[in-house]
Amino acid sequence: MNGLAVTRAVFAKDLLLDFRTRDRLGHMAVFALLVVSLLSIVVPASPTERLAWSPALLWVVLLFTSLLGLARSFQSETEGGALALLVQAPVDRGWVFLGKAGANALALIGVELWTGILFTVFLDVDWTHAWREALCAGLLGALGLASLGTLLSAMSVAVRFREFLLPVLLFPLVLPVLVLASSITGAALAERPVPTLWWGVFALYDWVFLSLGYLVFDYVLED
Amino acid sequence: MVSALVMLSVVLAAAWVVWLSRDIDARIGGARGVGAGALALLALWLGLVVGYAPIEQVQGVVQKIFYVHIPAIIPTYLGFLLTAVGGVGYLRTRRESWDQLAVSGAEVGVVFCTLMLVVGPIWAKPVWGHWWVWDLRLTSTLVLWFIYVAYLFLRGLAFGSDAAKTFTSVYGIVGTAAIPFVYFAVDLAQGSTMHPSNPAREGLPPAMGQTVGAGMIAFMAVFAWLIARRMELAALEARSLEAQAKGGA
Repeated sequence: MNGLAVTRAVFAKDLLLDFRTRDRLGHMAVFALLVVSLLSIVVPASPTERLAWSPALLWVVLLFTSLLGLARSFQSETEGGALALLVQAPVDRGWVFLGKAGANALALIGVELWTGILFTVFLDVDWTHAWREALCAGLLGALGLASLGTLLSAMSVAVRFREFLLPVLLFPLVLPVLVLASSITGAALAERPVPTLWWGVFALYDWVFLSLGYLVFDYVLED
Repeated sequence: MVSALVMLSVVLAAAWVVWLSRDIDARIGGARGVGAGALALLALWLGLVVGYAPIEQVQGVVQKIFYVHIPAIIPTYLGFLLTAVGGVGYLRTRRESWDQLAVSGAEVGVVFCTLMLVVGPIWAKPVWGHWWVWDLRLTSTLVLWFIYVAYLFLRGLAFGSDAAKTFTSVYGIVGTAAIPFVYFAVDLAQGSTMHPSNPAREGLPPAMGQTVGAGMIAFMAVFAWLIARRMELAALEARSLEAQAKGGA
């Protein structure tokens, strides 16, 4: 069995699980709806202030929402004792990581699209001129969050107080995702050009943590 | 001259703690001498701060906080570097000693990082007019502190299991990889820095520069001594867990 086949199988299995149970995506969607509607009440109503606040708020909402999904990513594996079987896959476990991270990234992209719509409805954010940049930032952001989130979720699931531990481990490390994604979104919404350097650093960040996750995941699942 | 001595002390401290970690039980005896040396250097540094370094004309006596703040920088980063080195070493060889070096580096690094973050605002309030400014170095140091405090939480909550060592090794490596990105991100979000570019070297009168240098060397000695004692403690912890496991079996 080659590695790519394992990645594909894990990826397809997670997606199927998301579609059949709808737990994870449903919880994230409702949570995002709740938070964005609360924000629409407390954020100042003037259009300029909303424009200035929206990119940062959007990404903070996404970060908190993603936490729900990332935490579930490995809990579902431990519940049925599936993790013990997953560990026995006769390939480098890095491939398992890529499958799980891919499925998490796709779930996050779904949540991002949903949250983007919510921001349009509740906070009047107009994506007409910014959707390309926002979409690219969303893809890179989802990949970055999913890489680190999958790795740290696999570790925190085996430890006490995992609800506390996952955000404490994750948040300082994903600060660059938050800053880059909201800066790009902000620049695009204000119709300012996005510097190439930002895209480069963002892509590099994703590549570094996806590679690191692939390399160290063998050790993480071993214990 | 002072810079060369500081460099030498950093290299010696790093080399000594790594050498010590190879066989902590046999080599820990030397730690007492290093502890006594560190105490003497601290006394010398304190004497220089109080009696030798002049009082700065604009900032007044509060500027003397510099002599604590600046020397804490190198032990902070060296501690975190040892955490990454120990983490890679542990994952590759599974030798306890690497793990002990890693966790000692993180703990002692966090102590110096906390010191830096606490005394900084005490200086900043009278000089900048604010306790806290969202400045590049300040913010990234805070994020760095969060990363290694998370490391210690992970360690504490997984304590006693083999997984704790693996997980913290992985987190130590991932955390180090994130540091340049954190710098970039904070710079992007906050714009220019208020920190002086290199206060230890540029435009300081010799007496101030020498006092900062003495502080760096003294802190390096304290750092090495703390790492040594922490590694000794980690070795004792490992032995105690082993004994408990045997007793329980």
